[in-house]
This record gives sequence, C-alpha cells and structure tokens, in this order.
Amino acid sequence: MTMSPDSKKVEAYLARLRQRLRGLNDENVREIIDELRSHIADKAEGVDAALAGLGSPEELASQYMADDLLARAEVSRSPVRIVQSLFRWASLSVAGSLVFLSSILGYFLGIAFILVAALKPFHPQTAGLWIFPNGPGDHEISLRLGFVSSPADGRELLGWWIVPIGFAVGFWLIFLTTRSALWFARRYRKSRALPRG
Amino acid sequence: MKERASGDQESGDKWEVQLRKGCLELAILAALWEGKLYGLEILRRLESDSDLIISEGTVYPLLSRLKALGLVRSEWVESDAGHPRKYYALTPAGKQRAREMAGIWTRFSGSMSRLLAPLAKGK
Repeated sequence: MTMSPDSKKVEAYLARLRQRLRGLNDENVREIIDELRSHIADKAEGVDAALAGLGSPEELASQYMADDLLARAEVSRSPVRIVQSLFRWASLSVAGSLVFLSSILGYFLGIAFILVAALKPFHPQTAGLWIFPNGPGDHEISLRLGFVSSPADGRELLGWWIVPIGFAVGFWLIFLTTRSALWFARRYRKSRALPRG
Repeated sequence: MKERASGDQESGDKWEVQLRKGCLELAILAALWEGKLYGLEILRRLESDSDLIISEGTVYPLLSRLKALGLVRSEWVESDAGHPRKYYALTPAGKQRAREMAGIWTRFSGSMSRLLAPLAKGK
C-alpha cells in the first residue's frame, strides 16, 4: 500500500504527537490520535489547514497535558499525581519545566520541614534548624535531620519549637506548592485558549 | 493623546479576549445541550451561533478534560465519510453543570445589562 503525500504528512504529525503524549494512559492516547485523524479527514479546507489549526504537536500535547493535570487535580489533590503530571508537562514546554522545578523545590522543602519536626523527638540534640559560620562574615542555615553530629560551632535556632513550626511550615509549603502549580497550569491553558490577536 | 487612546483600545481588546475565554466551557456544554455532536460540529456550532473563535487545538484538549471530569461522555459512530467519528454528549452531571452555569450567566448578564442601560441610551 502506498501513502499519498497528504496522509504521510498526517501520519508524521500524529506520530510526533503520540510521542509527546507518552505518560497519558494508552487508551487515552489512542483515542486522541484516532479522533484527530478523523478530524483532519473531515476538514474540508485540506490537510495543511487542518494541521495549522491544531498547532504544532508540541503545543497541542502541552495543552492535553495541562488539561489532564487540571482534570486529575480536581479528582485528587495528591502531590504525587501532580508531580507525575507536571513531569510530563515539563518535557513539553518551558513553562511546564519551570513549574515542575519550582514545585519539586516546594515539595522537597515542605517534606524536609515535616521530617525534621518528626525526627526531633528521636534526635533531640542534633535535629532542627541550625545556623553555623561558613567562612568569614558568611552563615549557613540548614535543616538537619540529626542523623550525624552537628558542627561544633553551630547553633540551633528553634529548639523544641521546630516541632510545631516544622509541621506547620511543611504542610503549608506543600499546600501552597499544589495551589500554585494548579494556578500556573490554569493560566497556561487560558493563555493558549484562543489564537493570538 | 493619541498614544493614550490606542493603549485603551488595546486593554479593551485584552479584556474581550479574557471574557470570551471564560465562557468557553459553558459554550461547549451549551452546544451539546440538544444532542450529541462530534468535535468539528462543535467548532462549527460555536463559530456560527456565537462569535467565539476557537482554534481546534483548544477544543479537543478541553473536550478531553470535560470527559475526564465526567461532564461529557463519548462514543465512536461510523459515518458515511468512511471513517468513524467521536461523538460527545452531556452526562447527567454535565447537564447539571450546564444548567448551573447558565443560571449564573443569566443572572449576571441581566444585572450587567440593567447597569449598562444608561450607556446605551446615551448613544
């Protein structure tokens, strides 16, 4: 069977799209590809106009990912699922990777605070928020889980207060990170919602 | 002075774009109110019945999100064109949502129209 130049173009487009939708479930991807193939075939203005209307495979995949993220988040706000979706979105656009990196940072810090708070009763001498000199005129502040001994010239800042403060700040950071990731996804989707101009 | 005027024009256009974007979800649910349609039909319906100009690249991902949220369902139907088409229809939850959104819209646009009535008279 030989393919016409038009259907070659369509299949090449769909192949690129399929590659970028990796991470969505297979059933979903198949549905998307079949639906778009049918859309292109129906479009009276021809293949080129149809493909132009859909935008580049990267941009289109990015929209599917952002919409998928929002739909999932409405069903479950689990950070794990959000990070999973963000990771896929990150591979598709600059906006996605910035949101991904800052969310990772936010969740990481949040988890660190919670861990320190939880470990304080087990490592009363070493766990906590520490400050120690790091060369002349320079200080370093670090969250320490307390598994190793602390630097001799360091000073612990919060004492037992790290327990309530650590839990509060930790959960607040996780909540805030989730909220802002979703806010960015929503904004991104809206910014792409209409052709520019 | 002239520059100022063109700046105002621009922010007015931006406002209009934002306003239209906000209506997209309701517009799609409303287009499906009378029965199932496939993607391209939804696009055509939106173009002819409203002046919402939406790109294909926006409608399909949005439809897939509405489906994930359980507001629409889809089915493949064979067509005369020789290939199957994916039809969308409102689920009971989608109907409920559309009704709620339409209610909010009607109340809001009613009160805006009353507020704006003096401006229309002045013309």
